[in-house]
Amino acid sequence: MSVILCRREQVTNPYYIEGLGVNIHSSQELCYAVYHHPLFFTDGFVDLSLTEFVRDQLGMGFVAARMEQRIKTGDKPDEILLMFMQECDYYTAAELGKLRQTLTAIRRLSPLEYAKKKADYLAEFKQYGKAIAGYQEILEAAAKNPDDQLEGKVWSNLGACYARIFQFVKAMESYDKAYAKSRDLKVIEKMYYLTRMSPSLELKDRHRSLVTGQLQEEWDKEFSRAEEKAEEGEALLEIEELFQKDSIRRLEESAVLVEEWKQEYRNMA
Amino acid sequence: MDGLILGLDLCDAYTQLVCDAGEKSWIMPTVICKKKEEDVWLVGEPAYASALKGDGIIVDKLVKLVKKDGTSTIAGIKYDGMQLMVRFLVQVLRLAQEEYGTDKIKKLVITVPKVEIRLLECLRRCGEYLGADPEGIHIVSHTESFIYYVLSQKREVWTNQVGMFDLSQDGLCYYEMKMQRGMRQNTVLAEWERLEESFDLNILNSDKGARMADKILCSCGSRLIQKKLYSAIFLTGKGFGNLNWADNFMKLICSRRKVYMEDTLFASGAMYQGMDLLREKSAYPYTCICEGRLDSSVSMKVLSKGQESQLFLAKAGDVWYEAGADVEMILDHQDYLEFMITPLDSKKKKLMRMVLEGFPKRDDKTLKVLVQVGFLDERTMAVTVKDQGFGEFFPATEAKIRQEVML
Repeated sequence: MSVILCRREQVTNPYYIEGLGVNIHSSQELCYAVYHHPLFFTDGFVDLSLTEFVRDQLGMGFVAARMEQRIKTGDKPDEILLMFMQECDYYTAAELGKLRQTLTAIRRLSPLEYAKKKADYLAEFKQYGKAIAGYQEILEAAAKNPDDQLEGKVWSNLGACYARIFQFVKAMESYDKAYAKSRDLKVIEKMYYLTRMSPSLELKDRHRSLVTGQLQEEWDKEFSRAEEKAEEGEALLEIEELFQKDSIRRLEESAVLVEEWKQEYRNMA
Repeated sequence: MDGLILGLDLCDAYTQLVCDAGEKSWIMPTVICKKKEEDVWLVGEPAYASALKGDGIIVDKLVKLVKKDGTSTIAGIKYDGMQLMVRFLVQVLRLAQEEYGTDKIKKLVITVPKVEIRLLECLRRCGEYLGADPEGIHIVSHTESFIYYVLSQKREVWTNQVGMFDLSQDGLCYYEMKMQRGMRQNTVLAEWERLEESFDLNILNSDKGARMADKILCSCGSRLIQKKLYSAIFLTGKGFGNLNWADNFMKLICSRRKVYMEDTLFASGAMYQGMDLLREKSAYPYTCICEGRLDSSVSMKVLSKGQESQLFLAKAGDVWYEAGADVEMILDHQDYLEFMITPLDSKKKKLMRMVLEGFPKRDDKTLKVLVQVGFLDERTMAVTVKDQGFGEFFPATEAKIRQEVML
């Protein structure tokens, strides 16, 4: 238990982290992002634009100079990043030791495993467009060295990403390919839910034959539960609240909300 | 001359002004008068004269008027305390400006019996109207001016305790000062009290009244100064302008110690402080603990460079209305803040815990708060803690806590 005193940092131009889709306004946020999402910081993150931010925005000129020196001498980017984080005084030596282990483990992943992990991460952060591109690259690469288990997982995740951005047809196609590779009934379940969400879609006969009456009943129940949960969701309650307001405020606030949704969708896709 | 350094003693009964430029000082009643038919304002004795002649309307007790946020209607126009105070101060300062042929004020130190927030704000705003640089105006207590006056005298005057009686139309007060020598820093402690035995100076006009006044002072003197080792005792105020009535009191205080009379003690002390404030290095390297200054330090335990250290938010001896800090902090595995309050006697230090109720629960090290510490007077600290959010990861909420703590 402790209290950390924050440095005075006047960040006027935040540093944008594409993978996370967030702007960084302080050294603590940057450390937090690296610590919790190291996958986004292993590929060419340590460069001169970062040191420029460290120097000009965070006011850590001496640290930036040391980072630049180490970049020039070809030091490992992970070590440079850890050195920066040590200077920020946000994480303890023990915590940084743990991060070092995580980074080492990431470096040990095969290129395909690494690419999948990264795409999964992007999907987790609702960066579906980037995740889809990542999954497609993996599938292209996997075509040279077929691996049904990996490809099955990738097609399934790709299907989930398409579904999240309402491209249900593409989602269905992806799940179809996922099932072909993995033969996992879970994939059929997802396809069934797609047909419930988009009634124009249908399960192919070969898939329909796998859905027993008992399974269908269970999945229907599960779908209803999900629908009920969605109805109680915070976002829906907000909209209901909005419609309780007078017409002028309703109009103003709904315009703001729609703009937020559009922005969110643009970020996703 | 590149500007005046002025000490101004502002009380309800009288105002004194002294300037570093020469020996001249001004003493006048704190009154202002507006002529009935013209927009002419007079202060001090000319104000009384005009009111007596019947061609002006007078307002007195200006300090009290400001403190209670009162107004006064003159010739059908309502003026608030600050408007009258500005006019009064403009006229008073003009005396020195005309005498020394310059308008520029390099430092103005105003000394008042007690520094209260309303009076303080008014005098600061007056400063803006007077065209003085805000950095050039300071408001201090009589106790602080007493310290500066005494310390500007020869060392032998303040080797031991120093006492002072102030007798004016505003009452009878006793001041006491002592130097506490420490390993790192010497501390000057001064306090004052308004004595209940106060009397109206008009009683000195009769023999009987004068004898009674002498008796009253003897009784106070015996009670206050006996059994203490003084190096000097000062007398100030209009009541001590003539000491013929105070034979017994003088006998009492003059035994085994030096006694000094000084008419403009507070104003001079303020002026000495003004001179000192302009020096690069203070000639008074002491921690002053007195009216208007904090008598305790406030600190927090923080983690810096992996080590626990004490962060001082305010230090004993800081001027309370300028003391305080704004700091951003991140809480790691805890939902409270702790403040250590350390008086001069560090054995009496106490810990104040502030639980951040209503603050969001977040991942570790992402509860970033702004801690604002300020003081409402020497004894009351006000702490405000606001949720700052953690960038775009966790946007700030409205969570906020304010707590007042008696030091």
